[in-house]
Amino acid sequence: MKSFGVGSGFGEALLSLLQSRGRVFGPVRGADGICRLGPLSRWSDLCPDPPYLPPKKYLFPPRERLWSLAADEYRRNGRCAEAMALVGLAPCDLRALAYLDRVFADDPHYQERRRRTLLVGTACTPTEECSCLVGDYPPGDIFLAGDRLWCGSAQGEEFAARLLSVLGDEQDRPLPPPEAAGRPASNGRLLAAFGRSAEAPLWARIAKRCLSCGACSAVCPTCTCYDVVDEALPGKAPQRFRTWDNCFFTSFALVAGGHNFRRDRAERLRFRFEHKFFGFGTLRGETSCVGCGRCARACPVGISLEEIRQALLTESPR
Amino acid sequence: MTLDFLPRTAILEEIDGQVPDHHLFSFRLPDAFPIAPGQFAELTVPGIGGFAVSTAAFVGDHRFQACIRRIGRVTDALYRLPLGARVGLRGPFGKGFPLEEFLGRDVLLIAGGLGMAPLRALLQALVARRGEIGRLSLLYGAHDPQVILFKEELNALARQGLLDLHYTVDFAAEIPWRIGGIACQVGLLPKLLDDVRLQPRQTVAAVCGPPGLYRCVLDELAGFGLAAETIFASLERRMRCGIGQCCHCAVAGAYVCRDGPVFSLAQLRRMEGAI
Ligand SMILES: Cc1cc2nc3c(=O)[nH]c(=O)nc-3n(C[C@H](O)[C@H](O)[C@H](O)COP(=O)(O)OP(=O)(O)OC[C@H]3O[C@@H](n4cnc5c(N)ncnc54)[C@H](O)[C@@H]3O)c2cc1C
Ligand code: SF4
Ligand code: SF4
Ligand code: FES
Repeated sequence: MKSFGVGSGFGEALLSLLQSRGRVFGPVRGADGICRLGPLSRWSDLCPDPPYLPPKKYLFPPRERLWSLAADEYRRNGRCAEAMALVGLAPCDLRALAYLDRVFADDPHYQERRRRTLLVGTACTPTEECSCLVGDYPPGDIFLAGDRLWCGSAQGEEFAARLLSVLGDEQDRPLPPPEAAGRPASNGRLLAAFGRSAEAPLWARIAKRCLSCGACSAVCPTCTCYDVVDEALPGKAPQRFRTWDNCFFTSFALVAGGHNFRRDRAERLRFRFEHKFFGFGTLRGETSCVGCGRCARACPVGISLEEIRQALLTESPR
Repeated sequence: MTLDFLPRTAILEEIDGQVPDHHLFSFRLPDAFPIAPGQFAELTVPGIGGFAVSTAAFVGDHRFQACIRRIGRVTDALYRLPLGARVGLRGPFGKGFPLEEFLGRDVLLIAGGLGMAPLRALLQALVARRGEIGRLSLLYGAHDPQVILFKEELNALARQGLLDLHYTVDFAAEIPWRIGGIACQVGLLPKLLDDVRLQPRQTVAAVCGPPGLYRCVLDELAGFGLAAETIFASLERRMRCGIGQCCHCAVAGAYVCRDGPVFSLAQLRRMEGAI
């Protein structure tokens, strides 16, 4: 992969180049001490912590209009997606975006934004909750680690070409491996253990602590469940929105007549685990948990999927 | 494939209100709406919301027909619409009943309550090719005689000798009850199974009803010797998108909206938590 040394002043130069193209977001620490993805105005504001909400919020916003109805016609009438750059993304978040690209492969709303989005990745310092995957990660358009830059796409190369004055030697180099490669990407043993675990006590034991608050799915970079909500304000055209939903909420699988397909928390916990590690539909068999550790950090009662994964591997009947 | 969230406009053309709170609605569309028995659509009452609804008819034209139970916010709004009102329609969604599997065989249909609506579409498709199938039987269980759907049609088919028809109801004022000359038992659906003479090896079954029905009937059918590959059931789940995206309908790794809603018992047995 094409790689360059970076000199001082490179960050500011890259930022102003990105700003000339569109909006730029990156992890910045707020007045409350929490690191969030937000508008980035100075390169030195970049915060090394994992941002509280993952980058999905820009590509799959918490609430977005699907259509409005006027003169008998249903129209998308959304504005054209604006160009943006997401900066300072850790390998896990880059992995997560690559997964979302597939979940929303056919989704015009997501894809329109994604096409106009540039990704700048960065090497990270793992936290205690991280369970990063072994192996390759997608580099984004540009990836930064130490005093080097990698060009992950043709667009990344174009940007590098415009920054040559602040770049050093060009070499062909592989991306650096992720720093905390804790978890194997293959899942065979886990799937077998999961399959045998329907009656296993671990679900009820862990779910007993769970408050069904949904924080874990809200902060997850690959959780994309949504609800569909219609709205008609007086004097305004009827509109339909999709809004983030949460499989931990009791109503998630409730149907007319009052039957609930996942009535208790243990079932819902197991459902989320299944989705994160084994996927649904055409993505069945693929892990979508990228090990970012956000769910464990956000959970008020300290539940982590890593804890469940370990329990499953050690406790599930053979 | 590009996912389309935009409904097309359909016009409410006709309402058959014979059965209270289970009206049969017919809609007209500007273009053909090729929906097959077992598939479903999303019906939108503008400004109120949308919901999943099966086709209740086997029509390959500009019409969509559905039997809709008045049960909540959106269905209630639909019941208040006048003829000529405009609604939104998306679809068709999902995989329906595999008609080819039914040809050349005996067919047993088992409907519980509103499950009769999708099975009526299948029944119409089968009657249209009546010569190509063997015995055609319908076991239909309803809460009480007043909520039996499509009574006249079903009785007419039975009188013409095209359909072997058995009713049962949970509650009835007198016993035995007769519905348009057809005997109706009182009791749960599986009881009716005792009455049908089956040739299990050449029979295909389609079952549609509430979750409780599946738990008892599907395995019983397999117990009679029907192959699990030839027993079909349609699953209901909460559905929000219909296109395998919102995750609401997921079960055992499958999206009911996209991979179903019709599954064979052989498939269902591999899907933990499906029934
Ligand atoms: C594949 C499929 C086929 C269906 N076919 C028919 C049919 O032919 N005729 C018919 O009358 N009904 C059918 N339904 C059920 C129908 O979609 C629900 O009854 C409908 O959502 C009720 O809408 P509502 O707004 O009036 O009720 P609401 O006010 O939304 O809710 C009433 C209850 O229904 C639940 N609910 C909400 N949305 C859904 C949903 N999308 N699916 C299931 N439950 C939901 C709510 O949690 C609540 O318990 C079908 C459902 C599915 C999944
Ligand atoms: S499940 Fe938890 S650790 Fe895995 S990607 Fe989601 S938030 Fe991160
Ligand atoms: S964050 Fe923790 S308590 Fe809240 S739903 Fe998730 S596991 Fe349960
Ligand atoms: S209804 Fe959304 S995934 Fe099936």
